[in-house]
Amino acid sequence: MQTVRRARAVGDRRTARALHYAMLGPTLGLLLAFLVIPAVYVGWLSFTTSTYGQESKLVGFANYAQLFADRIFWRAFWNTFFVVNGIVYVELLLGLGLAVLLSGPVPAKGLVIAVILAPYAITESSGIVMWRYMFEPDVGMVSQLLGRLGIPELEWSTNPVATLFLASTVAIWHHLPFTFLILYAALTTVPRELLEAARIDGASAWQQFRLITLRLIMPAVLIAVLFRYIFAIRTFAEVWLLTEGGPARLSEVLAIYLYRELFKYHQFGMAAATGVFMLAMSLAIALPYLMRMYREVQRGG
Amino acid sequence: MGRRSPIARLLRGALIALALAWSGLPILLVVLSSFKEANEIFAVPPALWFRPTLDNYATLWRERPEFFRALGSSLIVTFGTVLVTIASATLAGYVYARYRNRILSGTAFGLLAARMLPPIIITVPLFPILNALRLNDTHTLLILLYAAFYVSLGTWIMRAFIAKLPIELEEAAAVDGAGLPAILARVVLPLVVPGIIAVAIFVVVFAWNEYVFALIFTTRNAKTAPVVIGEMLGTVEGVQWGVIFAAATVQLVPVLALVIALQRYLVAGLTAGAVKQ
Repeated sequence: MQTVRRARAVGDRRTARALHYAMLGPTLGLLLAFLVIPAVYVGWLSFTTSTYGQESKLVGFANYAQLFADRIFWRAFWNTFFVVNGIVYVELLLGLGLAVLLSGPVPAKGLVIAVILAPYAITESSGIVMWRYMFEPDVGMVSQLLGRLGIPELEWSTNPVATLFLASTVAIWHHLPFTFLILYAALTTVPRELLEAARIDGASAWQQFRLITLRLIMPAVLIAVLFRYIFAIRTFAEVWLLTEGGPARLSEVLAIYLYRELFKYHQFGMAAATGVFMLAMSLAIALPYLMRMYREVQRGG
Repeated sequence: MGRRSPIARLLRGALIALALAWSGLPILLVVLSSFKEANEIFAVPPALWFRPTLDNYATLWRERPEFFRALGSSLIVTFGTVLVTIASATLAGYVYARYRNRILSGTAFGLLAARMLPPIIITVPLFPILNALRLNDTHTLLILLYAAFYVSLGTWIMRAFIAKLPIELEEAAAVDGAGLPAILARVVLPLVVPGIIAVAIFVVVFAWNEYVFALIFTTRNAKTAPVVIGEMLGTVEGVQWGVIFAAATVQLVPVLALVIALQRYLVAGLTAGAVKQ
C-alpha cells in the first residue's frame, strides 16, 4: 500500500513536471522560433555571401572585411555612436530632473504625470509628424520663430548633423516617459527620515541629493541607462521618416545601413555582418547587467 | 526637498510648465490642427480658438481608404498580440514563480538576455524564409513576431505578480482535489488581474504603434496604421498636413486614453519587469 502510494506520487510528480515544461512551451517556442534561431542563423549568414537567385557560398570573414572597409558603414557607426550617447545622457539628465521635480509637492500631480507620460503612447511616425510640423523649413512654427529671432533654422532635410539632432530630439521625446518612470519609482522608495536626519545634521539640499538620494537610486539609474542604450542602438524610424538616411547616406544609422543592404542591395551577407556587429554592441553594453542577473537567477532570486 | 521660498516655488512652477509644454504641446498642436482649415495650419502664433472643421477627416475618409483598412489591421494585430502574449506569459510566469531547478533558471536567464537582441537583425534570415512560406503580409505573422518580442517582459512581470500571491490558497485548492489547470483558472487567474493589465498595456502600446516590423513584413493586407501615416508623410506631391493630422489623431486617441487611464499599472509593470524582481 505504502509503495503504491509512493509510486503514484512519483508518477504524479513526473506528469506534473511534464506539465510545467508544457506550460513554458508557448513562451520558449516563440523565443526560439523568432529570436534565438534567427539570431544564430544571422551569425552563420554573416560568413556567407548570397543574394536572390544565387546559391549561398561560405566566404569566411570577407563580409566583415568589406564592411570595415566601407566608409558609409563607419559613417553609420559614428552617427549611431553620437546619437545613442546623446540620447542616453540627455534623457538621463532630463528624466532625473523631472523625477526630482515631481517627487516634491506639485498641484494636480496625477494630471501632470499623465501629460509627461503621453509621448509614450504615440507611434514613431506620428511623433515625426508632430516634430516636422514644428520644424518644417520656412513654415513650421519653430522655424518661423527662430527666423524672427534671427537664428538660422534647423536644416534637417539637407544637413545630416541637423537631421540626427532632430531625430535624437524626437527619440528623447518618445522615451523620456520610460526613463522618468523608472527614476520616479525609485525616488519614491527613498526614506524621508534619512533625508530629514541628514538635514538636521546640517547637510545642504545638494548634499542630501548627492550623498543619499543619488546613491540609493543608483541601481535604477543604471537600469534606465542600460535599457536606453539597448533601445537607442535600434534607432531606425526617426531617421528613416525624416530623410531615409539621406542626403547621400550621410545621416544613416546602423539599423538603416542594415535595412538598405538587405532590402535595397539584397546583400544578405553584409546585412548579416552588420546585424552581428549591432548584437555584439548590445551584448557588450549589457554584459555587466547580464552577469549580475545570471548570478541572481542562479541563486534563485 | 528644500525650503519653500517664493523664488524656489516660482522656479518649480516654471519648470513644470516647461515639462508639460515639451510633452504635451506637440500632441495638442497636432490634434487641434486636425480641426483647422489648410490656411490656418501654419499660422504663427497658432490659434487656440478657432472655428473647428471636419474637412480633414472627410478628406481622409474619401481619399485614404487604406488608412482605415490599416486601422483595422492594427486592431486585429494588437488584439491577437495581447491574447498570445498574456496566455504564454501567464503560463510561463506561473512555472517560474512556483518552481525552481537548473533548467528553469537557465531559461529564465535566457528570457532576460533575449531582450538585448536588436529586433531588426532577425529580419535578415526571416524575410526570405517567410517570403518563401508566404507568411509575409499576414496578421498572424505580425502577431507572432510582436508576441515573441514581448513574452519575455510579460513573463517576468507575471512571475513577479504570481510570486507575491500566498501559496496557501493553491495548496488549499489542491487538498480539495483541484488539479493544476483548475487551480490556475480559479485561484491564480482572478488574483493576478493587475499583472495581466500591466502586461496588456505594454503590449497594446507596442503592437498598436510598432513601425519597423510592420514596414518590413507587410505590403498591403496586413499593413498597419503607423506605416500608412509614415507613407502619407513621404508623398512626393506635397504633404497634406491637415489630413495627416486627422489620421494621427484617430490613431493616437484610443491608446493615449488607455495609457492615461491605466498609468499606475505602467509603474507596477516596470518595477516588476525591469528594475528588480
